[in-house]
Amino acid sequence: MLERLKSKRFYPIVFLALIVLVSVSLLLYIDTFTSEVVEAQNKAKIQAVLESIFPELTDFEEDGDLFVIYEGDNITGYTFLASGNGYSGIISMLVGINTDYTIKDVAILSQTETPGLGSKITEKEFTGQFVGLTLDDIVLSGDGGSIDSITGATISSRAVTETIREKMAGIIEMLSE
Amino acid sequence: MEEETQEKNFKASQGKGSIFWKELVKGLVISNPVFILTLGLCPVLAVTNSIDNALGMGAGVIFVLLCSNIIISAIRKAIPPLVRIPVFIVVIATFVTILSLIFEAYLPPLHESLGIYLSLIVVNCIILGRAEVFASKNNVLYSIADAIGIGLGFTIALIMIALFREILGTGGLAVFGFKLFSIPILSEHPMTFFISPPGAFLVIGLLMALFRWIGVIKGE
Amino acid sequence: MNDLFTIFIVMALVNNIVLAKFLGLCPFFGVSKKLSNAVSMGMAVTLVMLLASVATSVIYNYILVPFNVEFMEIVLYILVIASLVQIVELIIKRTNITLYNSLGIFLPLITTNCAVLGVTLINSSGDYTILQSIVSALGGGIGFTLVLIIMSGIREKLDVAETPPAMKGLPIAFITAALLALAFLGFNGLM
Repeated sequence: MLERLKSKRFYPIVFLALIVLVSVSLLLYIDTFTSEVVEAQNKAKIQAVLESIFPELTDFEEDGDLFVIYEGDNITGYTFLASGNGYSGIISMLVGINTDYTIKDVAILSQTETPGLGSKITEKEFTGQFVGLTLDDIVLSGDGGSIDSITGATISSRAVTETIREKMAGIIEMLSE
Repeated sequence: MEEETQEKNFKASQGKGSIFWKELVKGLVISNPVFILTLGLCPVLAVTNSIDNALGMGAGVIFVLLCSNIIISAIRKAIPPLVRIPVFIVVIATFVTILSLIFEAYLPPLHESLGIYLSLIVVNCIILGRAEVFASKNNVLYSIADAIGIGLGFTIALIMIALFREILGTGGLAVFGFKLFSIPILSEHPMTFFISPPGAFLVIGLLMALFRWIGVIKGE
Repeated sequence: MNDLFTIFIVMALVNNIVLAKFLGLCPFFGVSKKLSNAVSMGMAVTLVMLLASVATSVIYNYILVPFNVEFMEIVLYILVIASLVQIVELIIKRTNITLYNSLGIFLPLITTNCAVLGVTLINSSGDYTILQSIVSALGGGIGFTLVLIIMSGIREKLDVAETPPAMKGLPIAFITAALLALAFLGFNGLM
């Protein structure tokens, strides 16, 4: 019976279409429950990072990329999500700022830079440089500012610096309205 | 055709058990995909910068190779020759996607560090090659043996290269967060050259030369 | 790194897709000593890369993202690339039979070439717009062709040099690639 079916002219196309259909259905099925897991993980991760930037936080409000941080009934600061293209892929980070718009802390959420070189942007030695800076201070020392780039990872360092500065400018403008 | 029937008869006379092991060992040494067949090189250079990546990629390739070999072998009689390559590709791509989704959900750091190279498993010549050369012509049991053998051979090659690159390039060895050891002077001043791209080319070139010199591969 | 010029330079030089991203190695090591073949191969790959990047970028920006089905990426992209290669092969066969013959088996092999799929994946992981994808593909293709041309020139010299027997062929080619990659690392300074 298989031989007779195989000899029909439409068989190759129908077979291929069938395989694609099975593939799509299978993937759709698996994606529905893996994406739930991923979503939950992201939420948990963001919450954990927010708490590490603002240890005293009691609650936070989410508004797109911006998180308003509350301590009791008072707004004690803000945190925003920023992402930009690094040396090899997207770097995404959470930046905490105080109510006077100086940086509280910077936490890199995900990056795929070169291990041992660009990946050092996740270390305190680099991110610590941003603490206390105002918007205008966020410039690399090579461009006249105070942020030293990581040796051998200028692109990664620059990517983080410029991503933070650009996003921060937008956030401050939005908050000032 | 005559060769094929001869081979079939030979295999039939060998007994299923021993053929299984022969196919398995074949992938490890004689037909080692990396050092001998030099197939699927792109991910090899990219993921051997750390042992974690090497293990993750190895496991991934074994998974995809196994699943696609099984499915393709199971449906081999129904595949119309005209569309066989697209069919192989869709099957392989499906399993690579499944692998990627599983890693994303349950092994996020590995998913992140492997990046596009995880998805690129789909064009890894090894998997498509095995589908065309073996799985589409042999039964499921032997296809499983083939997949495991070639997959392990690939993984072992990856591990060998990664050992060199990580030890020389970072001065120590760490597997999934557990620091195995750290060489005193080297770990303060590691030769980061080895985890950079030129280092990858160098290590593999030297290892290939070494294999040839030992006589494992017949030279040109 | 979102402006078009930077994307182009990074894809072509700083993050050269062959020497830094390890994509497209099979044609790279298999390249002939004839310069014209290297150029034809490079151009063919650049063409497919460009077409594939446009097609996949459209799929990414108008189908995958809006409908939240990014997981279909791998299956769809590879099918698109396979079809494009078939079409390009047919066109070359009809219009320039000598070119078709000189490319031989390499043309269909572009489908399983990590370079094309790799660039399309780089585009989507960077969330590039269609315009950015085009520039990225151009940079990738030209960078690939450049490296192929360099390698084909070196290949010629390698063949007449006295290489130790164990090194002959692929091993020495890899060591050469290591030196090329080292040289290309210098482009980091461009940024």
